[in-house]
Amino acid sequence: MELVASLFASDNYTAVKKMMDVSAMRHAAIASNLANVSTPGYKRVDLSKSFEDELKARINSRDAEAISAAVPRTELDTLTPSTRADGNNVQIDHELLKMSSNTMNFDALTNFASGSLKQLKMAITGRQQ
Amino acid sequence: MNILSATAITASALEAEKMRVDITSQNIANAHTTQGLDGKPYQRRVVAFESVLNQEMGQNMQGVRISEIKRDESPGEVINNPEHPHADEDGNVLMPNVNIAYEMVDMVTASRSYEANLAVVRNARQMANQALSIGR
Repeated sequence: MELVASLFASDNYTAVKKMMDVSAMRHAAIASNLANVSTPGYKRVDLSKSFEDELKARINSRDAEAISAAVPRTELDTLTPSTRADGNNVQIDHELLKMSSNTMNFDALTNFASGSLKQLKMAITGRQQ
Repeated sequence: MNILSATAITASALEAEKMRVDITSQNIANAHTTQGLDGKPYQRRVVAFESVLNQEMGQNMQGVRISEIKRDESPGEVINNPEHPHADEDGNVLMPNVNIAYEMVDMVTASRSYEANLAVVRNARQMANQALSIGR
């Protein structure tokens, strides 16, 4: 029991879960940006920079409880200048690139989560020939 | 986990972009309509987009909708064609203010945006599939 509980409460596993949440939220932000690519005056939404720094610090502290307590948040990106007359600062190629890398990132995270569960399964059942 | 619910935002965009293509096709179809239902030459329609806050998707997430479909009030070209049934006594015909080049550009922009939004759905599905196969 100790082994199972400690795996699910480990800082790595918690960090992966949290980063998957963050990845899902980033996907929603990109969806919002691409949906509003023709909306005049729209400013792109992104994950808050301060949150990303905060999460990084919490992961580095290796404190599972602190990691799971982090709540991802978004902010409006008003810093990226608009190259268009209507004030919209979404660039479709940037968003598509971000989306691909985010999806790949999510794949990597799911593989990691799968890996820990597979290890646990192997520990329970033994190696199957 | 809100990957699949983000498709609500994308769905609103797909609907709006499709509407834009529909309006463009209406403009192109009526590029030579010198007498519309109101008896005047056809006036091209222009769509205006506005974003809609979608709080249940999360803070700052915005869908999109067509806020209004406006008529372009600018006057059309006047051509001299006495043979035309709608020509006035001087033989002048007031043509619609549709510019095919503008409409084509609008159509291409709308269909590219549509494609980008479809890519979002494709990626969301891939992410959801990956999440479902955790532990397999």
